[in-house]
Amino acid sequence: MRRTVAQSVALYGGLLLLVLVIGLPFWWVVTGSIKMPQEIIQRVPTMVPHSFTLRHFSKLLQSSDFPVYLLNSIVVALFSMVVTVVLALPAAYAFFRMAFPGRHLLYRLILVAYAFPGIVVLIPLYGLFAKIGLVDSRASLVIVNVALALPFSIWMMRSFLGSVPREIEEAAVIDGAPATTILIRIMTPLIAPGIASVAIFAFISSWTEYLFASVLIVSDARRTIPPGFAGMIGQYQIDWGLLLAGATAATLPVVILFALIGRWFVSGLTEGAVK
Amino acid sequence: MKKNTGLAFVFVAPALLFLLAVLGWPLVQAVIFSFQDIGIIGSKGHFVGFANYAEVLGRAHFWAALGRSVVWVIGNAVVQTVLALGTALILNQKFPGLRVARVWVILTWIVPTVVVVIIWRWLLSTSGGMINPLLMEAGIISRPIGFFATRRSAMIALILINSWRWFPFTALMILAGLTRIPGDLYEAARIDGASATRRFTRITWPLLQPTLVVLGIIGTLLSFNVFDVIWLMTAGGPSQATETLPVLIYETAFKGYRLSGAATISVLTSIILMSFAVLATRAMTASEANR
Amino acid sequence: MTAFRFVAAAGLALTLLTGAAYAEPVTLTWWQMEQPPQRVKRIQELLDEFNKAHPDIQVKQEPQSWGDVYAKAPAAFAAGNGPDLLNSIPDFTTVIKKIGAVVPVDDLVKDLDTKHHFIKATLAPYQYDGHTWAVPAYNMAISMWYRKSAFKEAGLSVPKTWSEWKAAAQKLSGSGRYGIGLPANKQLYTDQTVYSFMVNDGAADIYKDDGSIAFDNPKTVAAYQAYADLQKLSPPDSPSWTWGEAEACFNSKSCGMVLQFTVISSYNAQAEGDAADLGVAAVPHADDQSESATISYSNGIMITTKDAAKQKAAKVFLSWLLEPEHYGRFLNMEPGLFLPVTEDGAKADSFWNDPVTTKYKSQVETMIENSKNGKLFGFTTGKVFPSIGAISAQNVIAETLQHIVVDGQSAADAVKAGQAHMAEIAGK
Repeated sequence: MRRTVAQSVALYGGLLLLVLVIGLPFWWVVTGSIKMPQEIIQRVPTMVPHSFTLRHFSKLLQSSDFPVYLLNSIVVALFSMVVTVVLALPAAYAFFRMAFPGRHLLYRLILVAYAFPGIVVLIPLYGLFAKIGLVDSRASLVIVNVALALPFSIWMMRSFLGSVPREIEEAAVIDGAPATTILIRIMTPLIAPGIASVAIFAFISSWTEYLFASVLIVSDARRTIPPGFAGMIGQYQIDWGLLLAGATAATLPVVILFALIGRWFVSGLTEGAVK
Repeated sequence: MKKNTGLAFVFVAPALLFLLAVLGWPLVQAVIFSFQDIGIIGSKGHFVGFANYAEVLGRAHFWAALGRSVVWVIGNAVVQTVLALGTALILNQKFPGLRVARVWVILTWIVPTVVVVIIWRWLLSTSGGMINPLLMEAGIISRPIGFFATRRSAMIALILINSWRWFPFTALMILAGLTRIPGDLYEAARIDGASATRRFTRITWPLLQPTLVVLGIIGTLLSFNVFDVIWLMTAGGPSQATETLPVLIYETAFKGYRLSGAATISVLTSIILMSFAVLATRAMTASEANR
Repeated sequence: MTAFRFVAAAGLALTLLTGAAYAEPVTLTWWQMEQPPQRVKRIQELLDEFNKAHPDIQVKQEPQSWGDVYAKAPAAFAAGNGPDLLNSIPDFTTVIKKIGAVVPVDDLVKDLDTKHHFIKATLAPYQYDGHTWAVPAYNMAISMWYRKSAFKEAGLSVPKTWSEWKAAAQKLSGSGRYGIGLPANKQLYTDQTVYSFMVNDGAADIYKDDGSIAFDNPKTVAAYQAYADLQKLSPPDSPSWTWGEAEACFNSKSCGMVLQFTVISSYNAQAEGDAADLGVAAVPHADDQSESATISYSNGIMITTKDAAKQKAAKVFLSWLLEPEHYGRFLNMEPGLFLPVTEDGAKADSFWNDPVTTKYKSQVETMIENSKNGKLFGFTTGKVFPSIGAISAQNVIAETLQHIVVDGQSAADAVKAGQAHMAEIAGK
């Protein structure tokens, strides 16, 4: 496949633009987090740091509860991820492969779950959780995160299931395998990358959730990163160095995560067609 | 297809019941609130019928916020579609570093919203922010501008920031749809002498429709309900220029201390969105049936 | 009975008595809104000290953010798991009072007043309806900050009136620098700075005695006009400023003057940190006023538990906190920002023994002086109306300014709109 010069220019030009648009802001933030305070706020900012200090990070780790927030975020995200997959997979399979009355209606209904602003759910849910003693618990966050991620996850799963050729399934049916067996022993391995994608989606959605985490969690010991970080912004003053260090630190864990398993997310999406 | 009603329900029930409990029941509660006159959370309320609805619909406040929400949704849809589609097309080509690009393009989505807000608040400020000096150096502006100083620039800036956050995710979803288009179709078209543009309009675009439509519906719903970016960045300002419906709901509940009023606006918002979702999915099913 | 048996019996009786007297320690949960890490750390140090000295009372802090707590606290109280001690600013107290969660502290405050002598301006906003609703804990007041060297270079003396102020700001502007940095955001900081103007123009009262709104009057309009004129000399992004941006502007020398509670710790850490050059003065007053005033934010602590034992324990803790030997260290959780609410606190060694406070001694002394002439909107007449909670929360004072700065309305029209909005809130 040959590209014309014009096409190459468009392609690589577009790529460069992408790198700049996505990468530059992070570059500035990370380099800012190691600059001396004076250099961070100076009127004419610097692209490459002229100074170096680790004081912002040391303040972040020593004086704030950031490590606690990190741990809570990880715990909540992991549980949200697992529960979402466990609930979404069978539901998606049923919608896709099994006939039952109301199938189409229910499927549409699930997508409609996104029609409600989160805030409308917030206060009644708080009241409900308070009654059953779940306020200020990480479990409450897991419950909320799963609910928020489930509809889209079911849709994603259904698309992956849709790319499995019918023949494989039909063969199993002819062999007399019940639906559960088909799901667990045949389908699941085939769409493993797809499951990985959904799992990562649920993890990240939980990681970045702010509104519910800020109201449902009351004590510092159970706080996750988004509200914890927002709290560090502080009333009356802003310590930009600390904030930039915090921003860097809040980004680092997911960057590491993606460095390790990011390709599963992408391959799940892009290698949809089963070999 | 197997007819397997009992087992099917077993498969579907957990997810469905979960959603009903966590989303459905609070919604019912909110509807109940909207028929009462509760002020501060926890205070007692009395039944007031449709009084709240009459009041909310009668005041310009609600309609203005609705208008802003529509502008917000359309702005985001346009910007994100352009950016995401372009990005997906790029990522669908072969070039050195493709794998890396596909994984890391999503960087702006995996970062918590607060971080996004901090980043842009700092970058757009005049004390240490990079954007103004860059624009001045490029000769685009002669003096630093306050991005959140005027109503129009604030809305535009917010749309761009939100799009910056979401477009890579949307791009990957579109990419997923793109990779499902069989390569042979493109090969055959190329052999027939079709230009790149032709291949796009005749093959890519039509086959991408189902993905785009669903993404469009879900994207619109999610976009409409975006709260944290707007709230943390401008709190609906300046001078209410970015006060969309979710922001109005939050303010009414927690700053105006009118929980029932907020519930009323929420219910109305939900009705609007549900109508949109129903109509859109109906259109989607219709076009799928035509295929 | 032999002596031995007597002693044994006495010993047994004593053990039984002390055994009966030993009870589970009373635990208090304290929601405080100073989340920056170094403040949380300092509070924890004090709590550790208190808890050690009082094994029967254990106090635990839960740092919250001002942004969330207006939503969270009422929800928590409604659900029955609110805190026992809750920090507050005056308008927040009216909200908590409305839901019946706050307990009057008349006796405690009277007692503490006799011992430590509260500064009147810090107590006033919490006394109405025949009771005292919170114990003042720390004060903040806005002053005007500048660099002495910059003034000297421009041949300026410290402005005392608005005309002098405008002239000074104009002189300090130019070549990419801004004479003054005033915010124009719909946010608490702008409420505070605008009110600093109002209070210096004789427009301090926004309520009439009957609870109706007295916002729309010529003095208020004049104050807004003066503010808008000066705001034109501020950086273009000031309509999105909170406290941090104004400080950063001052520290990077982009702004010649700012109105702030303090710039001391950031000036010390992020700017030159030259104590001799940092100038602070009272906010200038209108030309026809005789003396300066300012906005003062008395932060208090409310007792929000209905349990008698906990209330008692809370009183012990609050008394302990205001003791001069501990109080100064509490204030210095953010040195150079929080001012004492008591006379003996202002003299306490524990307050002045902090390196930053010592370094900027003259500035802090001026800040304390300024704070004595401080007022807070909605709490100026001795009568407090519950609508102030919503008026503060919705930042109507700042919103009015935005009508001028962002929408281009005239000061008179903007103030009229502000009056209408406040009246609408007050009417509910």
